[in-house]
Amino acid sequence: MQDKITKILKAIADPTRREIFHALVVAATALPITQISNQFDMSRQGVTKHLKTLEDANLVKIDNKGRERYCSANTIPLKEINEWLKFYEQFWNDSLDNLGKYLDMT
Amino acid sequence: MKDSISKEHIFNHSIDKVWNAISKAEEISTWFIKADFKAEEGYEYTFTAPEEKNCTEITGVVKKAHPYTLVYTWVVAGTDVETLVKWQLEKSDTGTKLYLEHSGISNYTGETAVKMFTSFNGGWDNCIHGLSQYLTQAIHAG
Repeated sequence: MQDKITKILKAIADPTRREIFHALVVAATALPITQISNQFDMSRQGVTKHLKTLEDANLVKIDNKGRERYCSANTIPLKEINEWLKFYEQFWNDSLDNLGKYLDMT
Repeated sequence: MKDSISKEHIFNHSIDKVWNAISKAEEISTWFIKADFKAEEGYEYTFTAPEEKNCTEITGVVKKAHPYTLVYTWVVAGTDVETLVKWQLEKSDTGTKLYLEHSGISNYTGETAVKMFTSFNGGWDNCIHGLSQYLTQAIHAG
Protein backbone atom coordinates (compact mmCIF):
# COMPACT_ATOMS: atom_id res chain seq x y z
CA MET A 1 0.00 0.00 0.00
CA GLN A 2 1.54 3.27 -1.05
CA ASP A 3 1.45 6.11 1.37
CA LYS A 4 -1.01 8.86 0.67
CA ILE A 5 1.02 11.83 1.87
CA THR A 6 4.13 10.62 0.03
CA LYS A 7 2.08 10.70 -3.17
CA ILE A 8 0.85 14.20 -2.42
CA LEU A 9 4.34 15.50 -1.67
CA LYS A 10 5.69 13.86 -4.82
CA ALA A 11 2.88 15.32 -6.89
CA ILE A 12 3.47 18.86 -5.72
CA ALA A 13 7.28 18.64 -5.70
CA ASP A 14 7.33 19.46 -9.42
CA PRO A 15 6.93 23.18 -10.29
CA THR A 16 4.97 22.51 -13.51
CA ARG A 17 2.51 20.29 -11.67
CA ARG A 18 2.13 22.95 -9.00
CA GLU A 19 1.31 25.49 -11.72
CA ILE A 20 -1.22 23.17 -13.35
CA PHE A 21 -2.80 22.47 -9.99
CA HIS A 22 -2.83 26.18 -9.19
CA ALA A 23 -4.49 26.98 -12.54
CA LEU A 24 -7.22 24.44 -11.76
CA VAL A 25 -7.77 25.85 -8.27
CA VAL A 26 -8.03 29.39 -9.65
CA ALA A 27 -10.37 28.28 -12.44
CA ALA A 28 -12.70 26.85 -9.77
CA THR A 29 -14.33 24.81 -12.50
CA ALA A 30 -13.50 21.74 -14.56
CA LEU A 31 -11.18 22.52 -17.48
CA PRO A 32 -10.73 20.40 -20.61
CA ILE A 33 -7.25 18.91 -21.07
CA THR A 34 -6.98 20.67 -24.44
CA GLN A 35 -7.34 24.05 -22.78
CA ILE A 36 -4.76 23.23 -20.11
CA SER A 37 -2.22 22.06 -22.67
CA ASN A 38 -2.75 25.27 -24.69
CA GLN A 39 -2.38 27.42 -21.60
CA PHE A 40 0.89 25.73 -20.62
CA ASP A 41 2.22 25.48 -24.13
CA MET A 42 2.79 21.77 -23.62
CA SER A 43 1.90 18.68 -25.57
CA ARG A 44 -1.36 17.03 -24.64
CA GLN A 45 0.65 13.95 -23.74
CA GLY A 46 2.93 15.88 -21.37
CA VAL A 47 0.03 17.54 -19.62
CA THR A 48 -1.85 14.24 -19.34
CA LYS A 49 1.17 12.66 -17.63
CA HIS A 50 1.29 15.44 -15.02
CA LEU A 51 -2.46 15.27 -14.53
CA LYS A 52 -2.25 11.53 -13.97
CA THR A 53 0.31 12.06 -11.17
CA LEU A 54 -1.97 14.67 -9.61
CA GLU A 55 -4.93 12.32 -9.98
CA ASP A 56 -2.98 9.53 -8.24
CA ALA A 57 -2.49 11.84 -5.28
CA ASN A 58 -6.21 12.61 -5.34
CA LEU A 59 -5.45 16.28 -6.03
CA VAL A 60 -7.21 16.25 -9.41
CA LYS A 61 -10.39 14.63 -10.65
CA ILE A 62 -10.62 13.68 -14.32
CA ASP A 63 -14.03 13.11 -15.91
CA ASN A 64 -14.81 12.03 -19.43
CA LYS A 65 -17.45 14.08 -21.18
CA GLY A 66 -17.95 13.08 -24.78
CA ARG A 67 -14.62 13.20 -26.55
CA GLU A 68 -13.02 15.60 -24.10
CA ARG A 69 -11.64 14.94 -20.63
CA TYR A 70 -12.30 17.54 -17.93
CA CYS A 71 -10.08 18.14 -14.91
CA SER A 72 -10.88 19.80 -11.62
CA ALA A 73 -8.84 20.43 -8.46
CA ASN A 74 -9.39 18.77 -5.10
CA THR A 75 -7.72 20.68 -2.26
CA ILE A 76 -8.77 18.43 0.62
CA PRO A 77 -5.55 16.33 0.69
CA LEU A 78 -3.48 19.48 1.03
CA LYS A 79 -5.48 20.52 4.06
CA GLU A 80 -4.46 17.31 5.83
CA ILE A 81 -0.76 18.08 5.36
CA ASN A 82 -1.30 21.67 6.31
CA GLU A 83 -2.96 20.60 9.57
CA TRP A 84 0.02 18.44 10.46
CA LEU A 85 2.47 21.24 9.72
CA LYS A 86 0.42 23.83 11.56
CA PHE A 87 0.21 21.60 14.60
CA TYR A 88 3.97 21.09 14.90
CA GLU A 89 4.79 24.69 13.92
CA GLN A 90 2.78 25.83 16.92
CA PHE A 91 4.14 23.05 19.12
CA TRP A 92 7.79 23.91 18.43
CA ASN A 93 7.21 27.67 18.62
CA ASP A 94 5.66 27.27 22.06
CA SER A 95 8.38 24.88 23.15
CA LEU A 96 11.20 27.20 22.10
CA ASP A 97 9.45 30.06 23.90
CA ASN A 98 9.44 27.94 27.01
CA LEU A 99 13.09 27.04 26.54
CA GLY A 100 13.90 30.76 26.31
CA LYS A 101 12.00 31.54 29.51
CA TYR A 102 13.63 28.62 31.26
CA LEU A 103 17.12 29.72 30.24
CA ASP A 104 16.43 33.30 31.35
CA MET A 105 15.34 32.27 34.82
CA THR A 106 18.06 29.73 35.62
CA MET B 1 6.32 21.81 0.13
CA LYS B 2 9.08 20.54 2.38
CA ASP B 3 9.01 17.33 4.33
CA SER B 4 10.04 19.08 7.54
CA ILE B 5 9.64 21.97 9.94
CA SER B 6 12.70 24.08 10.70
CA LYS B 7 13.22 26.63 13.43
CA GLU B 8 16.09 28.95 14.17
CA HIS B 9 16.41 30.80 17.44
CA ILE B 10 19.12 32.79 19.22
CA PHE B 11 19.39 32.54 22.99
CA ASN B 12 21.52 34.99 24.97
CA HIS B 13 23.08 32.19 26.95
CA SER B 14 26.21 30.09 26.72
CA ILE B 15 26.24 27.10 24.42
CA ASP B 16 26.80 24.69 27.33
CA LYS B 17 23.83 26.06 29.23
CA VAL B 18 21.56 25.57 26.21
CA TRP B 19 23.05 22.13 25.56
CA ASN B 20 22.29 21.02 29.11
CA ALA B 21 18.73 22.34 28.82
CA ILE B 22 18.01 20.21 25.76
CA SER B 23 19.96 17.09 26.73
CA LYS B 24 19.51 16.54 30.50
CA ALA B 25 16.39 14.75 31.69
CA GLU B 26 15.90 17.00 34.69
CA GLU B 27 16.05 20.16 32.62
CA ILE B 28 13.99 18.79 29.72
CA SER B 29 11.34 17.89 32.30
CA THR B 30 11.21 21.48 33.51
CA TRP B 31 10.69 23.40 30.28
CA PHE B 32 9.47 20.73 27.85
CA ILE B 33 7.85 17.43 28.81
CA LYS B 34 8.55 15.10 31.75
CA ALA B 35 11.44 13.07 30.43
CA ASP B 36 13.20 9.78 30.99
CA PHE B 37 16.13 10.73 28.82
CA LYS B 38 19.86 10.20 28.45
CA ALA B 39 22.00 11.90 25.83
CA GLU B 40 23.56 8.60 24.80
CA GLU B 41 23.33 7.02 21.38
CA GLY B 42 20.89 4.12 21.44
CA TYR B 43 19.07 5.25 24.58
CA GLU B 44 15.32 4.60 24.40
CA TYR B 45 13.71 7.66 25.89
CA THR B 46 10.18 8.47 26.98
CA PHE B 47 8.53 11.88 27.22
CA THR B 48 5.40 11.68 29.35
CA ALA B 49 3.03 14.60 29.40
CA PRO B 50 0.66 14.87 32.38
CA GLU B 51 -2.24 12.45 32.00
CA GLU B 52 -4.85 14.54 33.76
CA LYS B 53 -4.46 17.08 30.98
CA ASN B 54 -5.10 14.42 28.39
CA CYS B 55 -1.63 14.80 26.97
CA THR B 56 0.18 12.12 25.11
CA GLU B 57 3.40 10.16 25.34
CA ILE B 58 6.36 10.35 22.99
CA THR B 59 8.98 7.63 22.69
CA GLY B 60 12.05 7.21 20.53
CA VAL B 61 15.70 6.35 20.26
CA VAL B 62 18.64 8.72 20.57
CA LYS B 63 20.53 8.58 17.27
CA LYS B 64 23.21 11.16 17.87
CA ALA B 65 24.27 12.89 21.06
CA HIS B 66 27.55 14.71 21.13
CA PRO B 67 27.95 18.41 21.79
CA TYR B 68 26.36 20.18 20.12
CA THR B 69 24.17 17.93 18.01
CA LEU B 70 21.25 15.92 19.36
CA VAL B 71 19.10 13.70 17.15
CA TYR B 72 16.29 11.40 18.20
CA THR B 73 13.37 9.59 16.62
CA TRP B 74 9.90 10.74 17.62
CA VAL B 75 6.94 8.37 17.87
CA VAL B 76 3.60 9.60 19.22
CA ALA B 77 1.77 7.06 21.40
CA GLY B 78 -1.04 5.33 19.55
CA THR B 79 0.69 5.71 16.20
CA ASP B 80 3.50 3.64 14.69
CA VAL B 81 4.86 6.52 12.66
CA GLU B 82 8.46 7.53 13.17
CA THR B 83 9.64 11.08 12.55
CA LEU B 84 12.99 12.65 13.38
CA VAL B 85 13.90 15.59 15.65
CA LYS B 86 17.28 17.24 15.33
CA TRP B 87 18.76 19.93 17.58
CA GLN B 88 21.93 21.70 16.63
CA LEU B 89 23.75 24.45 18.55
CA GLU B 90 26.29 26.92 17.34
CA LYS B 91 28.12 29.74 19.14
CA SER B 92 27.04 33.20 18.00
CA ASP B 93 28.13 36.75 18.85
CA THR B 94 25.39 37.21 21.39
CA GLY B 95 25.11 33.68 22.73
CA THR B 96 23.90 30.51 21.09
CA LYS B 97 22.14 29.85 17.82
CA LEU B 98 19.78 26.89 17.90
CA TYR B 99 18.59 25.02 14.83
CA LEU B 100 15.68 22.68 15.25
CA GLU B 101 14.41 20.39 12.52
CA HIS B 102 11.47 18.01 12.70
CA SER B 103 11.42 15.88 9.57
CA GLY B 104 9.62 12.87 8.15
CA ILE B 105 6.16 14.27 7.61
CA SER B 106 5.73 11.99 4.60
CA ASN B 107 5.89 9.03 6.97
CA TYR B 108 2.45 9.99 8.21
CA THR B 109 -0.49 8.72 6.24
CA GLY B 110 -3.36 11.15 5.93
CA GLU B 111 -5.48 9.04 8.25
CA THR B 112 -2.83 8.92 10.99
CA ALA B 113 -2.27 12.64 10.82
CA VAL B 114 -5.95 13.39 11.09
CA LYS B 115 -6.46 10.90 13.93
CA MET B 116 -3.54 12.44 15.77
CA PHE B 117 -5.06 15.88 15.58
CA THR B 118 -8.48 14.90 16.72
CA SER B 119 -7.11 13.00 19.71
CA PHE B 120 -4.22 15.18 20.81
CA ASN B 121 -4.66 18.65 19.44
CA GLY B 122 -6.19 20.14 22.55
CA GLY B 123 -3.98 17.91 24.66
CA TRP B 124 -0.68 19.34 23.68
CA ASP B 125 -1.96 22.87 23.80
CA ASN B 126 -2.86 22.21 27.40
CA CYS B 127 0.55 20.77 28.18
CA ILE B 128 2.39 23.71 26.71
CA HIS B 129 0.02 26.20 28.31
CA GLY B 130 0.50 24.55 31.70
CA LEU B 131 4.23 24.75 31.35
CA SER B 132 4.16 28.46 30.46
CA GLN B 133 2.06 29.15 33.54
CA TYR B 134 4.45 27.21 35.71
CA LEU B 135 7.41 29.15 34.38
CA THR B 136 5.67 32.51 34.74
CA GLN B 137 4.83 31.71 38.34
CA ALA B 138 8.35 30.54 39.02
CA ILE B 139 9.74 33.78 37.62
CA HIS B 140 7.43 35.93 39.72
CA ALA B 141 8.10 33.85 42.82
CA GLY B 142 11.84 34.10 42.27
